[in-house]
Amino acid sequence: MSTETGRVGEWSLFGHSLRRVVLYSILVGMGVFYLIPIETGIMTSIINPASYTGSFPYLPPLEPLVPGTGTLSLEPWQGAIDGLGQGLVNSVILVVPATIFSGLLGSMAAFGLTTISWRGQIGIYILFVAGIFIPYQAVLVPLTQFWYNVVPLQAVFAPLATLPFVQEYHWKLVALIITHTAYGLPICTLLFRAHYKKLSDEMVEAAQLDGASVSTIYRRIILPLSIPMFAVVFIYQFTQIWNDLLFALTIVQFGDAAVVTQDLVGIGVSQSGTNFPLRMAAALLAALPTLLVYIFFGDKFAKGVAA
Amino acid sequence: MSNKPTKLSRRTVLTTTGVAATTGLAGCSGGSDDSDGSGDGGDGGANELELLHAWSSGDGNAAIAALIEGFQEEHPDVEFAEEPVDGAARSNLDQVVLNKLQANDPPSTFQLWPGKNLAKFDGAYEDIEDDVWTDDLKENYLAGPQEQAQYNGSYVSVPLNIHRINNLFYNTAVLDEAGVDPTSLSSASDVVSACETIAAETDAVPFAHQTSGTWSTVQLWETILLGQAGIDGYESFINGNGDAEQVQTALESVVELSEYYPSDSSSITFTEANTMVMDGDAAFIHQGDWAAGAYSNEDGFNYGEDWGQVTYPGTSGSYLLNMDSFPYMANNPSPEATRQFLSYCGTAEGQVLFNAEKGSIPPRSDADVSALNQFQQDQYEDFNAADNQPPSVEHGLAVSPAVKTNISDAFSSFLENYDAAATADALTGAFN
Amino acid sequence: MRNPLTVLKRRLSEHREVRTDGGTTSAGSILDRDSVRSAPFWLPPFLLIGLFIYGAIAWNIVLSLTDFQGLGTPDYSALDFENYVVAFFGGTPSWSELTVSPIWNSAWNTVVLMVSFSVVCLALGLVLAILVDQEIRFENTFRTIYLLPMSLSFVVTAKFWLYMYNVETGLVNLFLGAVGVGPIEIVQNPDLKLAAVAFALIWQFSGYAMIVYLAGLRAIPTSHFEAARVDGASTVRMYWRVIIPQLRTATVSALVVLTVFSLKAFDFLFSMYGGYQPGPSADILATRMVREAYSNGNWAYGSAIAVILFIMALAIVTPYIYSQYKRGEL
Repeated sequence: MSTETGRVGEWSLFGHSLRRVVLYSILVGMGVFYLIPIETGIMTSIINPASYTGSFPYLPPLEPLVPGTGTLSLEPWQGAIDGLGQGLVNSVILVVPATIFSGLLGSMAAFGLTTISWRGQIGIYILFVAGIFIPYQAVLVPLTQFWYNVVPLQAVFAPLATLPFVQEYHWKLVALIITHTAYGLPICTLLFRAHYKKLSDEMVEAAQLDGASVSTIYRRIILPLSIPMFAVVFIYQFTQIWNDLLFALTIVQFGDAAVVTQDLVGIGVSQSGTNFPLRMAAALLAALPTLLVYIFFGDKFAKGVAA
Repeated sequence: MSNKPTKLSRRTVLTTTGVAATTGLAGCSGGSDDSDGSGDGGDGGANELELLHAWSSGDGNAAIAALIEGFQEEHPDVEFAEEPVDGAARSNLDQVVLNKLQANDPPSTFQLWPGKNLAKFDGAYEDIEDDVWTDDLKENYLAGPQEQAQYNGSYVSVPLNIHRINNLFYNTAVLDEAGVDPTSLSSASDVVSACETIAAETDAVPFAHQTSGTWSTVQLWETILLGQAGIDGYESFINGNGDAEQVQTALESVVELSEYYPSDSSSITFTEANTMVMDGDAAFIHQGDWAAGAYSNEDGFNYGEDWGQVTYPGTSGSYLLNMDSFPYMANNPSPEATRQFLSYCGTAEGQVLFNAEKGSIPPRSDADVSALNQFQQDQYEDFNAADNQPPSVEHGLAVSPAVKTNISDAFSSFLENYDAAATADALTGAFN
Repeated sequence: MRNPLTVLKRRLSEHREVRTDGGTTSAGSILDRDSVRSAPFWLPPFLLIGLFIYGAIAWNIVLSLTDFQGLGTPDYSALDFENYVVAFFGGTPSWSELTVSPIWNSAWNTVVLMVSFSVVCLALGLVLAILVDQEIRFENTFRTIYLLPMSLSFVVTAKFWLYMYNVETGLVNLFLGAVGVGPIEIVQNPDLKLAAVAFALIWQFSGYAMIVYLAGLRAIPTSHFEAARVDGASTVRMYWRVIIPQLRTATVSALVVLTVFSLKAFDFLFSMYGGYQPGPSADILATRMVREAYSNGNWAYGSAIAVILFIMALAIVTPYIYSQYKRGEL
């Protein structure tokens, strides 16, 4: 479908058709559009706050060479690490189990609702899919009530706080892990179901004829075939949960268990001497894990969002 | 709320009335957690004091640490379960307390702006007039703070520090360059004229201010209102009988001042605005005295030489109050220890330890403030000499939480359109 | 290879159709045993979402009928629609001494944001997808860059754009200055606030629309492109007449997802304005709901707004899921 260069009647520039030149200019221009807020953030985050003028926020700090750009310093990053350190640790404690649980349970649900087919499963499955689109606001007040007034999780959890590395405030993270697992399930189930529908029936059927139990089929056949999909699901869930603010705001609320997005919101307000270099460093630090995941596994992420 | 404790077996009585009060308001909470109400978090028994506060970093954190250290020297057997709040989540502290109260699991005490703001936890306090508010406290707290410590006429909390809202801080070098004498200013419009001069004579921003959130502007407006309408006009407003014209005039003064804000006021925070003053990029800032906390941490930026403070022009004789206090919660998990702690917070010694770090001043008028810095000592002198100590609107001392919400909403529109007339309507209507 | 199970399976799917037509029951068939045997797999996740999603929604609906406010606990014995009356008409509810404003302002902002954000995202995504589909070099790199913002948190995006919109140092104003406009106050400008929010969200999510459209374009057989070429249609006409109509499915699914994203813009506004109150020009239902409940303590009223938001989402999603179901794509 593409137009090869040098079609009759087309303008050309250095042997490239003008059409291609325009095309690439637009593509690069859009690339700049998507990258420049991040690039500006990176450049600003390594400026020594004392030398920051804001005149050329998109240029690297090259002060002695280029006046007005500020001098290079990692001080903002140091400040960001001080400000967000605990939040980062809490986010990791939250994200890892919540991602694994929602992925694993999603795979199981999709298996039970797809590979093993039975009447009425579509009705159950629709409830899963609809869950993807629920605005979280519709459940916030009950969730707060549930975790604080109905389930005595804090009291149950308190004895565990004597274990090494376990703090009493971790109970809030446990509540958040369970909540995120539940709300991640719909999309995980959808992704796995799409995958399982494509798998050939034959192996499963053969195994069933051999008298294999449902759980054997899952463990021996489906699980190994799901590994590529697990990568997609984990990456998607990791990003979603890491980036969430609303649940953390209403379930953790405040205190030692605050996650990184909560700390990032507050950084300009609480930390004295806040400045744009610090704010940008903090924003980038909070975004770093998802950015890295995206840069290394971008194709899998694209697969996840496109589903 | 609850009755005054009788003399007989005080502790048991207190606990029972506490439970009665809380279950009364807890109604049908499902009852699944009644069992943990008494023993929660209290592996250490009744001597572990659960203290919630928002001083998670900086001077506030140092201040609460100093206070606790001082207290524990006298009461080494009391342990603390602290949980500081981070960042912008100040309002989330109230949220947590609400949740804990609903779960019939109150903290021992927590950081709370007193005054009308106490209504947020209506019915959850217990009167401490007999145990904590001794004659000594009543004699040595000035009328303003003392009134703020009471809810519906009973003493329920202990103010720990006094912040002042009606300050105008300035960078000396910038004012010198512009030829402005801050002590000569005597009204809000003088400030506007001074800003005009500064804009003409220097490159500095005349009036550092942030407008990404409403709180700084509410503070500025209430200060100007106090100056223009006087203490009577101010008190009429906070009692819901404000004169719309006075309210509007004060707003118009804010609009005039807004001409002299930093051009990017909407995307900076208070700390950034404050830094402009420190760096000599701005002349004035109107703020609570916590702004000065940052100045004293800055090397080579000295009080009296590089920066100074005047009572906001027009408000002399008034000390516009904001303060932090610790209330005594009913159904207290550590009744005895909490009372000991609150009593300590009411001593001059404890207040000096706390405020030396915090940058605010002790509410007691008999404190030995020689341990505080010169700026604090000057403020303390102003405080004791003030004719009146009106409570601040922005910090919830002056108006009920619901009214405060309406006022914040009104200012969120004001920051968009600077429509003084419409905002004045909304502000006087905030009480309906 | 035809084994009995395949046959069985086909019979089952026939069964299913019969059932949708009007309910033949067949108790005790293998199907039921399969549903039971696979229950250990689907039931726990189902109970989890049943409790946390559907249970919570139901509870929220009940809460919205109470007078739950502040420190109290919900009183389930006196249910009424007062909160909805207040939400639509304003007034002084029984749980407050003050008048409470209706939701129209934030509802209107929600719709404006939803429509402008989704439409522009789709248009931009479509153009990008078509451009990327021109057998370009470095296609992967371009795609990766365009989708990059989507990996960021709303909170992070807000921090970046607050900086971009800064009057003095923001790139947006530097750019406007370069073309001779401005500088313009954006963040607290009532005429631009919502547009600024929408623009930042478009930056973040248009890459998503591109990915969806690209998948749609790749699914169109090459012969369609060629046929149009043979007819001598110009490129623009070819896309307009032949290709875009075939992207209806992609458009609908991207649209649904984007609209739901826009309903969730709370995180962005909370981060941008440093709190629960973004100001009347940018207040949406999502922020109003959280503010009423978590800042003002008006739990039941917040729940009522949440129900309204939920119904809006339902109105968009139900037809979509139904059509997916009809086409057997679930």
